[in-house]
Amino acid sequence: METQVRTEIEPFLRFEPEAAPRLEPLPVALPPPVPLRRTRLPVVLIGIAVLALGFPALWAAWLVSVLFDHAAWLGWTGLAIVLAGFGLVGWGLASELRGLATLRRVDRLRADLASGETERVVAAARQWVEGLPQHANLVPAITAAGTPETVLSLLQAGPGAELAEAVDALGRNAAIQAGAIVAATPSPALDVLAIGWRGLRLVRQVAALHGLRPGLTGTLALLQRTANAAASVAATQLAVNAAAHAVVSHPFLRHVLGDVAGAGVAARRMIVLARAASSACTPLP
Amino acid sequence: VSATPFAADLFPLRTTIRIGVTGLARSGKTALLTSVAANLLALGAGRPALPALAEQLGGRRLRVRLAPAEASDVPRFDYASHLAALVADPPRWPERTTAVSLLALDLEVDRDGLLAPFGPRVRRLEFLDYPGEWLLDLPLLDRDFGTWSEATLRRLEAPALAPIARDFLAFARGLPRGAKADESLALSGHRLYAETLRRLRDETGLAFLQPGRFLMLPPGPVPPYMHFFPLLGHGPLASLLRTRFDAYVEAVRRDLISPLFGDLDRLVVLADILSALHQGPAAFADAQAALAAASGALRWNLSWIDWLAALAQLKLPPRAIRRVAFAATKADHVAARQRGNLTALMRRLTLTPTEEAATAAFAVASVRCTEDVVETLEGRPVSAVRGRIIGESRPARFYPGEVPDAPPDESFWQHRFLSLPIFEPLRPPDAGRGGVPQIGLDALLAFLLADIL
Repeated sequence: METQVRTEIEPFLRFEPEAAPRLEPLPVALPPPVPLRRTRLPVVLIGIAVLALGFPALWAAWLVSVLFDHAAWLGWTGLAIVLAGFGLVGWGLASELRGLATLRRVDRLRADLASGETERVVAAARQWVEGLPQHANLVPAITAAGTPETVLSLLQAGPGAELAEAVDALGRNAAIQAGAIVAATPSPALDVLAIGWRGLRLVRQVAALHGLRPGLTGTLALLQRTANAAASVAATQLAVNAAAHAVVSHPFLRHVLGDVAGAGVAARRMIVLARAASSACTPLP
Repeated sequence: VSATPFAADLFPLRTTIRIGVTGLARSGKTALLTSVAANLLALGAGRPALPALAEQLGGRRLRVRLAPAEASDVPRFDYASHLAALVADPPRWPERTTAVSLLALDLEVDRDGLLAPFGPRVRRLEFLDYPGEWLLDLPLLDRDFGTWSEATLRRLEAPALAPIARDFLAFARGLPRGAKADESLALSGHRLYAETLRRLRDETGLAFLQPGRFLMLPPGPVPPYMHFFPLLGHGPLASLLRTRFDAYVEAVRRDLISPLFGDLDRLVVLADILSALHQGPAAFADAQAALAAASGALRWNLSWIDWLAALAQLKLPPRAIRRVAFAATKADHVAARQRGNLTALMRRLTLTPTEEAATAAFAVASVRCTEDVVETLEGRPVSAVRGRIIGESRPARFYPGEVPDAPPDESFWQHRFLSLPIFEPLRPPDAGRGGVPQIGLDALLAFLLADIL
């Protein structure tokens, strides 16, 4: 059959006249990632923020101009009050943005540490460790480590392990408190509020432990990341059971938790939450 | 602190999948394993590598790392030094490996849909470098010493092989009919036969040479039952050799169900078909026979008789190989236009059904060395490849001849098919961290791992 498709072309091996450098491959084109449907919520929030700040600003400007019409001293006083008020709001917004920027920085460090490129990994590791003064002595070792794997091992063994321990301690504390709250509050509705408040506080504590100082929007962003990280942390449920067991054997709670439905679950949730929040805050891949 | 490795360390949820990579010597096992590791690590680090596998992942995140050796007794595949050889300037091809080795990678891939909250799937892929020579021992399982000896001696007496086999044939023919079961006779005959096999492999490029363990010794001291050779007759020496042959076959059978080789879950069989096309009809027929024997021996699936036999002995039935990929290597030595033919040829040589999910044929270049070019010859465009041959500074343009899409007939051999030059590998991006350039390896991995990703 193939005699019909064979051509008469003679095989050849022929050298080009000019020398050439080593051949380079063409860049690999990966299939485009599946687009995620973006939520419109941020746009809505920005709209509300513009309305909430814009109209009071207009009203304040109008008021100041009216006050100036009445008397100069009244106008200056009004202007000072308006500037002080909006200044504080602006300062608050700026610190919110700073908080968000630190979260972005964690993402960037995480991408750098996962890049597998020695230079990027070393630079990111140094940057992270320099933000954790108690681990500054690791910097020479990081600089000397020749491979990305060694740098990551150093980070895991040093700040990584220490942070994990501290996060677990925070989680255990919160778990004991959550158990006690559930045992002490008279109604399930209050349980939800109290546990929610304790959870939020725990997330902010874990963030502070990682050198982050998130404001209100930063905390919201952190909560979103924590929810994402919770998927992978769910796999650790069994470990959490072990940790929760340790909490439950606390002399005070041992008696209380056994009798109150849901107290054990609340305690366990705090430990999961601490680990999920930690997973969202750490740049370690 | 990261939860995922924490989860993987704490829970034995990890499933190990052992993939045998086999092929005759110089078929490219080491290059394939190096490329698999480099490309999977690159894909795990978010680099653009292995497009077919990336498409299968569909945007899910994949994390890959080299698994720690732990307390394993199997030597680890020396990935770092093999990659360093490819990356070096000037590059070198990885050293040929002569022993069994294991490349282990830990994979974590995010689940999608409703299973996402259960965390990533954790898999350990163990690629076992399995000598192809041993695969050729599988057909011995249903042969006896008499028929094997007769077939082997008849083959060695063929005019093309007789000059190389002369010493051994003279020894075997010269033995008296009732020769005693003497150890020195058995040992001398074995040495001559093993030397003949080695020369046939090295000088004529033959592949279908049995017993395969004579050419690729198993690890550890050589057991006495290895010292046999093909002999006709029924004297005391012949019966000693028969006993040893039976013990050898039994060892092959034991290996098949040993923890190391018996747990193979899927298999990659590599063959350098393009070189066989150059070596001529005898070498090609031999490679064809070797591949057919290997694929025939592998196509055993557990029948209900195997199940009953295993249960009757109160044992678990042996594990079946779920997926087999047959790959024609050095696909970068022919232009893209011809790679379809190369795949079709491989499929027909291994009798791989096109519709079956468990076996598939591929044309791969684990480490790509060339780029496709179109050369104008006597006013006609010819698809060729362009690459730098090792030791040369000027690139060469190469067209070895037409690749048939089925086992070639007489008329094919009237035309020349050039021997394959040794090209230097393309420069791996970012010193190998961006993967190793390849052809078809992504499709092969996507097929092998389709049900676990």
